[in-house]
Amino acid sequence: MPGSVSMTKTPARIETHSRPSTPVVRPIPQADSGQYPLIDAIKRGETPEPMRHESVQSVGQILDIRNFELWYGATKALHGITMPIAAGKVTALIGPSGCGKSTLLRSVNRLNDLIDGVRTSGTIALDGKDVYARNVDVITLRKRLGMVFQKPNPFPMSIFENVVYALRIAGERRKSLLQEACEKALRQAALWDEVKDRLKASAMGLSGGQQQRLCIARAIVSEPQVLLLDEPCSALDPIATLRIEELIIEIGRRYTVLIVTHNMQQAARVSDFTAFMYLGRLVEYGRTADIFQLPRLRETEDYVTGRFG
Amino acid sequence: MSLSFKESRRRTASAFMYALCAASTLAIVTVLLMVAGYLAWIGASSLSWNLLTTVPTGDVANPGGMRHAIDGTIVLVLLAAMLGVPLGVLAGIYLSEYPEEARLTGPLRFIADVLTGVPSIVVGILGYELLVVPVSRLTENSISFSGFAGAGALAFIMIPIVARTTEEMLRLVPRSYREGSLALGATRSQTIFRVVLPGAFGGITTGIVLAMGRIAGETAPLLFTALGSRLLTHDPRQPFPSLTLQIYTYATGPYPEQRRLAWAGMLVLLALLFVLNLAVRIVAARQARGRLH
Repeated sequence: MPGSVSMTKTPARIETHSRPSTPVVRPIPQADSGQYPLIDAIKRGETPEPMRHESVQSVGQILDIRNFELWYGATKALHGITMPIAAGKVTALIGPSGCGKSTLLRSVNRLNDLIDGVRTSGTIALDGKDVYARNVDVITLRKRLGMVFQKPNPFPMSIFENVVYALRIAGERRKSLLQEACEKALRQAALWDEVKDRLKASAMGLSGGQQQRLCIARAIVSEPQVLLLDEPCSALDPIATLRIEELIIEIGRRYTVLIVTHNMQQAARVSDFTAFMYLGRLVEYGRTADIFQLPRLRETEDYVTGRFG
Repeated sequence: MSLSFKESRRRTASAFMYALCAASTLAIVTVLLMVAGYLAWIGASSLSWNLLTTVPTGDVANPGGMRHAIDGTIVLVLLAAMLGVPLGVLAGIYLSEYPEEARLTGPLRFIADVLTGVPSIVVGILGYELLVVPVSRLTENSISFSGFAGAGALAFIMIPIVARTTEEMLRLVPRSYREGSLALGATRSQTIFRVVLPGAFGGITTGIVLAMGRIAGETAPLLFTALGSRLLTHDPRQPFPSLTLQIYTYATGPYPEQRRLAWAGMLVLLALLFVLNLAVRIVAARQARGRLH
């Protein structure tokens, strides 16, 4: 993986975060040793009730995922996911590769619809309306959600046209309005000062980190209700990663953000809530501070400290 | 001992393979250069300003120039492209961008591949039956050979080539472009025309220009459709001249002056194709530079 640099686990940081005085002395538990009852149940194919902290229920929700399941053909990728997403907060999805966090993220804006043989059950309600309801227009739905992908994917056009793409496809032609929106989005994405003199230049000429900030500007230009970030730093170097993280914290004050990340320090730094997923199931979900410092499950504790997973 | 023996055997084998590949390449390049050189040698002696500016005189001893044929080829290729490019590109988009219709696109792709290999004389006959005979009946004209019929036959050759190149080039456009656009609430056609197609622009242009080069060199499809003409005309409703047809006529005729002219014509045709290919290279290089950024 080209982006492995940013995903390197740095135990030192974790320890300052949680318990500096506890060195790793416990032997690494083996599977089915009885230490991880929830994980063991999941490995047996069950869908145990996850540890959902009360704190996640007490806030205003913008997204409500209820008993959501998803199949790729005959393979079931998501099992009975039930989790409310807090409005105006940053929620991080963490878990080992293949645990379904990206799948869950892509279910919110129904990007999984593009894949052959995908079926779903359960509901994902955005502002109280199920996005999988029959009468939902997917195009309209996606206009209400912004998304940023793993690899920066600027379109082969100018920086300006990239940013205002969402407005262009909505039929907006007024030059002054487009310019205003472009500047606002670029400022929010902390990119304006670097590109203001070359808005007409190709977006392909930007560095990877700049491209990713451009993609964030493009995603927020139409002021989406929820911003979906799918491992937005996994293809970036550490410095670019840091800038994006600062940006996510900044943007999180204005927007609801749902972010998938491989990097637990990143989740700890940028999010208000964290959900730990494993093999398509939700395991534990609560305030980020609680998940990292006072997790209620040993599974979660060992995962966030890098001893398991 | 045995190790160094193996080592030296490996080196010999490697050197042998290298020599074989180099010799094959050299043989091909030599033949190509001989053809081009011979053509230039014979053709250049008849190359003149008159060749490019005057039309046939009818006098076999002093046959005039080929202005009419040069213009004819350019007009025919442009007409064929006007029909073939939009149809070919749209068909390529259909093949690449609508995978859920695989039951239809699979056979279509096969047909396109077969059409690319159809002998050009077959296309000529087909053009005669479909574009010349019916028009003759309709207009009650005894001969309805026309530039339009010729361009139609050339377009028939061009369409499958353009469709398949377009498809291949669109497939090279990363999936992340499409997902990025769709995630912003773009419709599928907005995604195709605003993001995917511009992303493949260089490759598709290259394919189109190569296809134009291919049809510029065709003779057989024009034999029964455009027919050829000795007059300078830009009216595609009339029988229409082309370089290839004029070369064919002169080269198979009995008059030495006309044969000399045929050689010169070939040189002009090659020069046209060379310019076209050079244009492709420039476009492709620009595209490559664009990717680097």
